[in-house]
Amino acid sequence: MTTRRGFLAGLLATGLAPSPSWADLGGPAFLAAAKTPQGGYLLAGLSDQGAIRFTCPLPGRGHAAAAHPQRPEAVAFARRPGRFADVIDCRTGARLARLEPPKGHHFYGHGVFSPDGSRLYTTENDFENGRGVIGVWKVARGYQRSASFSSGGIGPHDMLLRHHEAGQQIVVANGGIETHPDSGRAKLNLPQMRPNLSLLSLDGDVQDVMELAPDLRLNSIRHLALSADGGVGFAMQWQGDLGADLPIVGLYHPDTPPRLMGEDDPRLRHLQGYGGSVAFTPDGRKIAVSSPRGGLVQVMQIESAEIIQEIPLADVCGLATTASGLMASTGLGQVLTLDGPTVTHQQSHDLAWDNHLIRLG
Amino acid sequence: MSSPLPQRIALPFFVSWKVFDVKHLLFAVAAIACLAPPALRADVVDEVLDDQILPGMQALVDSSAYLAQTAQTHCTPEGGKLRDAYDQAFDDWIQVSHLRFGPSETKNRAFALAFWPDSRGKIPKTLAKHLQAADPALLEPNTFAQSSIAGRGFYALEFLYFDPKAASAPAAAYRCTLAAVMAQDIATTARAIQQDWQNSYAAQMRNATGRYQDEAEVKQELFKSLNTGLQMLADMRLGRPLGRFDAPRPKRAEAWRSGRSQHHIVLALQALHPLATALADGDAALIARLDAAFERPTLRALRLEDPILAGVADPAKRIHIEALQQEINDLRTLIASDLGPALGVLAGFNSLDGD
Repeated sequence: MTTRRGFLAGLLATGLAPSPSWADLGGPAFLAAAKTPQGGYLLAGLSDQGAIRFTCPLPGRGHAAAAHPQRPEAVAFARRPGRFADVIDCRTGARLARLEPPKGHHFYGHGVFSPDGSRLYTTENDFENGRGVIGVWKVARGYQRSASFSSGGIGPHDMLLRHHEAGQQIVVANGGIETHPDSGRAKLNLPQMRPNLSLLSLDGDVQDVMELAPDLRLNSIRHLALSADGGVGFAMQWQGDLGADLPIVGLYHPDTPPRLMGEDDPRLRHLQGYGGSVAFTPDGRKIAVSSPRGGLVQVMQIESAEIIQEIPLADVCGLATTASGLMASTGLGQVLTLDGPTVTHQQSHDLAWDNHLIRLG
Repeated sequence: MSSPLPQRIALPFFVSWKVFDVKHLLFAVAAIACLAPPALRADVVDEVLDDQILPGMQALVDSSAYLAQTAQTHCTPEGGKLRDAYDQAFDDWIQVSHLRFGPSETKNRAFALAFWPDSRGKIPKTLAKHLQAADPALLEPNTFAQSSIAGRGFYALEFLYFDPKAASAPAAAYRCTLAAVMAQDIATTARAIQQDWQNSYAAQMRNATGRYQDEAEVKQELFKSLNTGLQMLADMRLGRPLGRFDAPRPKRAEAWRSGRSQHHIVLALQALHPLATALADGDAALIARLDAAFERPTLRALRLEDPILAGVADPAKRIHIEALQQEINDLRTLIASDLGPALGVLAGFNSLDGD
């Protein structure tokens, strides 16, 4: 039997060594940011059982990350108002480069690569102009800034790449909240706030904009998930009065009205107006949201829009799709898998897992 | 129908608390607590179950059954038997309303008893529809139990009894029967919760090998309910009517129609205090800090003299309500910093500062 090592050695001998790929890593399946007990911050690669495959220190609190589609390379973003994004070699945890946003901009904590891996897109705040921006970076040139365009709204947060007949699209959750580094994370525009979900071409042409009804204008559209059929799941964070009865998860398909999950179910208030992460089940028939404030994961059936399951989990936030169900991470260091009704504690680390769990591949 | 209401001290909102020497009452309670030597302390979980949860649920069953019985023959609450029955049952619910896990969450039972806050005005909308339609089918208990949750429970019943528009609905007979069905539904739901506690859930908490993996998880569940109760107090019962200084929202006070807003704050504090004490598990210094931190807002709440929290809109009175909210938030901070870690509960990394 040909061993993997022997096979690679053979390739090396023939000069046919492939460039490094994700397969070289011994299978990290997810990326996640965390805080250490000493108060430091890191990015970790996790196996599909939640075991740590590598860690890489970060200079400040991280948030999401973007994985290069081919090379075992990821960009870890600082949490907003972020001033860094570190490119990390996921084989070793070594930092390959540090991106800094242009003057007058900060990162929001999310980004994606183009499908061919040639470009990185980042959500940014052009804070002097109160404008949401997508930054474009050329990967081959050591992540050189090459362009930027409007995100289609204020406060772009999560973003995803969506495959479409006519090509690739960027989906951006424009949370609607204006902030300025001079005032930290203070929300400057609640009276005018109007979040949206924008569909953009890779060149920044606006192809569709979704807004919810005016009575939901304080519901900041913040995080996204994509289903196999191109549906976009979004999770929101309510900025209005506490105790309001609100949908937190919605579904969007271009050209059809958005659908809100669990409306009129009083259990929505268990989420305390706060969706952390959102993920589809692998069959695409359910969508789940984490709420660290509510200390639970709620699962909704897409067809009926009904809440079908609640899983209490203290300080849960990271949530991602796995081959068989969902994986969740908590600020108490837990990593769990949720497969239908079965909740399995996979790992417990001496780390506080931050939002998010980013799936590789 | 169970036996009539056991004689307990019922203190409707309109009884002025000033007639009691509250401070001495609290000291007396503290003194009694001190008589029990630490060596004889029961297990924390047993203590909470046997002294708080199970008797609390039994009280709710008894008083809601009495309310259901009274509602069959009475329809106007003013100053009479129905008012007392309503007050007692509602009191008993408020005192267990922080126990939002297990039996109360099955089939949305807690929401069926208490749909509050009602930020979208679903209660008045649902009841207006019911009164308009005057459908006899709705009066059948099983049908009613399947109807909109906003039209059930203590807050819907309050609306039927105390809202002038509902009280003057043309179909007076229908309204009275609907109220009686609603009261019976409350009693049925309360009974279902209590039965689950008695028949299985208490045992699952005592022998933590299934639903709860160990005793630590059970204590964490109780700790969570303590926090749920305090959060409800600070953010909902006080935060919602307080609104902003330039935009107070007095009509968001809980149960203002029946004049019970202030009273609920007192009741909740009085129910949460022994839970916190039990969870402190004999740590005398911590218990003393908790006693002091509970005593401040409890005394202030008792002395507000503002049954419906109308003072939120009056700057001179508002400061006392804001101070009360602050004292409850201080209490939450103390509990998070001094009680949580001993129970293995650390402040939430994501819940406090997510993105």
